[in-house]
Formats: sequence, structure tokens, C-alpha cells
Amino acid sequence: MIKIHDLDVDVGEFHLRDINIEIKKGEYFVILGPTGSGKTVLVECMAGIHNPCKGEIWFNDGNVTLLTPEERETGYVPQDYVLFPHLNALENIQFGLKIKNHSKKEIEKRVGEVTNRLNIKNILYRQNPKTLSGGEKQRVALARALIIKPRLLILDEPLSALDPRTHEELQRELKRIHKEIKTTTIHVTHDFEEAISLGDRIAVMNNGKIIQIGTPDEIFRKPKTESVAKFVGAENLFKGKVIYSDNGKGISRIRIHGMDTNIFSLTEKVGAVYVSIHPEDIVLSEAVCKCYNDKNILKGKIVNIMDKGSLVRIIVDVSIPLTVLLTRRAYLETELKKGSEIYVIFKAMNVHVF
Amino acid sequence: MNVFNGIFGERIFKAATLSALIFFILFLVGIVVSMICYISSDRFISILFSKEIIFAIKLSLITATIAVLISVAIGIPAAYALSQTEFWGKDIIDTILDLPIVISPIALGAALLIFFSTPIGSGIEEHGIKFVFVIPGIILAQFVVVSALCIRLMKSTFDAIGSRYEDVARTLGCNKFQALFKVTLPLAKNGLLAAGILTWARAIGEFGATVTLAGATAMKTETLPIAIFLSLASADVEKAIAVILILIIISITSLFAIRKIAGSGWSI
Repeated sequence: MIKIHDLDVDVGEFHLRDINIEIKKGEYFVILGPTGSGKTVLVECMAGIHNPCKGEIWFNDGNVTLLTPEERETGYVPQDYVLFPHLNALENIQFGLKIKNHSKKEIEKRVGEVTNRLNIKNILYRQNPKTLSGGEKQRVALARALIIKPRLLILDEPLSALDPRTHEELQRELKRIHKEIKTTTIHVTHDFEEAISLGDRIAVMNNGKIIQIGTPDEIFRKPKTESVAKFVGAENLFKGKVIYSDNGKGISRIRIHGMDTNIFSLTEKVGAVYVSIHPEDIVLSEAVCKCYNDKNILKGKIVNIMDKGSLVRIIVDVSIPLTVLLTRRAYLETELKKGSEIYVIFKAMNVHVF
Repeated sequence: MNVFNGIFGERIFKAATLSALIFFILFLVGIVVSMICYISSDRFISILFSKEIIFAIKLSLITATIAVLISVAIGIPAAYALSQTEFWGKDIIDTILDLPIVISPIALGAALLIFFSTPIGSGIEEHGIKFVFVIPGIILAQFVVVSALCIRLMKSTFDAIGSRYEDVARTLGCNKFQALFKVTLPLAKNGLLAAGILTWARAIGEFGATVTLAGATAMKTETLPIAIFLSLASADVEKAIAVILILIIISITSLFAIRKIAGSGWSI
């Protein structure tokens, strides 16, 4: 168990205040926050790279607040990987074990394990780590951290520098690896889809403070403050289950949790998923015409209209509440009122599933 | 229509900047060539292998090498501290460090000479090592002039590497010493080597502080720059030219070595 108690940290322009976090053993804990919120400083403080000016950090039953990084046994994967440029991939991975004078046999065994797990056997002897792709660098950095069997694995924005395909692939692998080895993990990100699909629990951070801690569901359903709500983009987020997927056409049907509502999407995922539709991707129409080839056409009733300056927010109840955004101008051209019956229409490709 | 717009303007711009550069290079090459024309190759070789010049070459190489070794031994930890450690008064120390670089070497030499006539200084002279007007004085003078430069150059190498590699190395189990020896020094190797060579070339050419502290005695404290001074003083222009050419050859070789080393490093 990791415990952070009343932590204050000042590093450069970052000022972290009153940080209190408890992470359970084996938990995948996500710290979610916008750029510049102090996430990196916080995790580097846990790794022992920065010293707090107040508060305590506990690993299990030991107070590690005053310990140096080498005494803490955290596996740290920085955002920019920081692979040692004078060593090849294999030497990078072995680094932590060689420092601790492990036997050759032990090193070989653990390198075998970790490279199998991460699927990087073929790049081990690449002379210069600069020639590795982003995804490969990330795997090498992850292997280097995992091989020391850390008490806490720290991943700082591990997926944000990767192209979308590699991003998705590695995200799946992070999930699988965590399932296999169950190392307590802290994952820092600014991407809420990443947070929701990986995190057992999420801490939302902004301006050097933890604003809310909870399960993904709690964070997205009951955001404590408007800034959390805004940041996590909690509108039109639903739990669901893929009940039919036609991979030939690439279209799947998702049943919203506890409802009869079906939503079509282009996902290839199966099982329990989260579904989100950005309010600006939804179109309202008073009648359905054949000219729409959008997959998702749902009939509903307007339950609320909120005038928010240049944008107007309309809540339509289609057995689930959907938020739709209209520009003020578009809104004034219609005669929408509370209680009007209306169709909501959105494309399958605009249904985000994670 | 402005003539400086468009492709024509670009050409004018290129011609103007390039011609300044070419003019300057021609100026330097012209001086060297005119010297080479002044002296016949037979004469150059006979001067080169004269007892006095062989002595001066040897003395210069040995003193500069010792001065640089001492500078590097002190410079590496000092530069590391200046680059990677936060401490009170860092700015002041940083400024003081520039002093020996900008101050006239003759002032440094004179300051040393005066120091050795104070009670502490003369105590060192009598009971420790003798510096004034002897070879250790040459080494000390060169050290004082080049050590700050050496630290400056090495600091920029450490600055370029930054502290991230060590941070990660330490999470992987390195203590501060291991992090330095396993990560930072291997990464800094080429930069430090280049700094050492540049410092060495500067030490070879040192004159002002050397002549003030160690004097200019032929065959005794006669380094290459002092040999030039002595030759001119006795109106032996050919000898002076020969020594100048030797110095130029040493410098060019060093500079090419630095280029080669700098080009072969790890890109960080």
C-alpha cells in the first residue's frame, strides 16, 4: 500500500499542496490532469527525485519520505523514456540488475521473462536507442523499470507520444501486463479515455491539488466540481455491453447498461465497454428523412434547455439523457422547447468506445 | 519594388555575409602564407631541430600537459557541482569563475608574483615548492590562466546532459557515485576530452602570466611563446617565424582533434 499524507512540494514553478492519496496493493491508479497541473512533479516526488517540503510518503509500513531514489525501489518510466544513449536496448534493460550485482544467470533469466512479456526480443541488440521507434523505446523503458521488480511502477504519460495505433496497442498491453504481474502502478495522463479504460481508481489533479479521487464511474458520473466535469468531458458517457459485432462491416451494436437503448459503433471491442458521444457530434431533427444514412437515430423528448452564452445546451431524454450542443444562432432558427419530441441523430463513427 | 525582396535580395544577402567571412579568412591565411614565404624550408628544419627549440617544444608540451591534468582533476568535480548542484551563492561563484578568462594574463602572473613575496607565499617558496623563475612557475601560471576556462567548458558539457539520466539511474538503484560513473561520465566523455584539448591548446600558447612569474630565461623557462619573445628581442625574425609555425601546427592539430571527437559522440 502506498500512502501520501498532507504532502506539499515546491519545484520550480510547481507548487503542490495538501496531497493525500492512498493506493492499494496491486492497484492500477491513474492520476488525471491537464498539462502543467503538477502530475509529473508528484510522481517524481514519490520516486524520490524531488523532496517534499511538508508531509509524508509511506510504502507499505515504511516511511520513505527521507529515502533517496535508490532506496525506494520504484520503477520509473519517464514521459520522454530517458533511455541511456551510450547503451543498447539490452544493456538499458539490464542496467538496474547489474548495478545490484545480480548473478549472470539471474540477469539472463529476468531479461528473458521481461522481454518475452513485452515482445521486444528482436530489438535488444540495436546499437543506438535513438533508432528505436516510439513504441519500442517505450517498451524498452518499461522493461528496464519492470526488471527490478519495483514496489511501485510509475508511468508518466506512457502513451501520449505515440501514434494512435501504437497507443491503442500499448494500452491493451499495459492492461494485460498489469493483470499478469499485479505490480502497484501509478499512471499519469491527461487523456480521460485512457484513464477510464485502465484505472482501477483515478485521482483528478489540477493546479497542484488533488480535486477528486474515485473509481472511473464515480469520477465520470459524479464529478465533484465543474472543473472536473469539464476536464473529464463527462457528457454523454454510458456504460454498455457489446452485444453484436459484425466485424465484416465493422459495425457493432452496444446495449446501454440497464436500458433497452442500442447504439451502433465502429468499434472492434467486445464485452463491457464505455460509450461516449461528444455533444457537438449530435444533430437534432424534427422528422426523420431517408436522406440520413447515420446509423444512430433515436427518438426522444427535450427535458432541459440551458442557455450558456454562445452555445445552447439541450438535454434530450431518449431513455438515456443525451446532451446536445447547438450554436446560439442555430438554436434561434429552430422552435425547440422543453417537452418537444425530437430525433437525435449521430454517426456510428462518432461513437467513442473504450 | 524593393531590391532586397525576392530571390535577388537573397543573393545580395548571401553575397554580403559570405564576403565578410571570406575577407576574414583571406586575412588570416595571408598572414600565415607571408610568413611561410619569408623562411626557406631548410632554415625552418634546422631551427626546428636546434637544441633550444627542441627544449622549448618539450618544455611547452610537458608543462601544458601537467597544467591541464591538474585543471581536469579539479575541473570535473567543480564543473559538475556548478552544473548539477543547487547551492547558495552559485551566481557569485559563476561570475568569479569568468574572471580569469577575461582578465589579462599578465595581471594574473603579477598577482602570483606578488603573492610569493608575502609571508605565506615566501613560506611556500622556502619550505614547499619553488615557483618564482623556475619551471613549476610555468605550470602554475598556465594552470591559473586555463583552469577556469576548463571548468566553463566542462560545465557546458554537464549542462547539456542534464540531470534526467541520473534521476532515472538512481530509481534503478544507483547511488550518487554509481550514477556519475555509470551514466554521466560515459555520456560526458567526449565533451570532457574536447574541453581538455582546448584547454591544453590554450595552455601551450600562454605567455603573459608565464613570463611574469617564471621569467624568460633561454633554455631554462623557455616555452614556445617565450621562445618567440626571445627571438624577437634578439631580432632573429626567422627563428620567431619558425616557432610561430610550430605553434600554428600544434593548434590546428588540436582543433581538428576536437572536431573529430565532438562529431563522434552520443547525441543527447
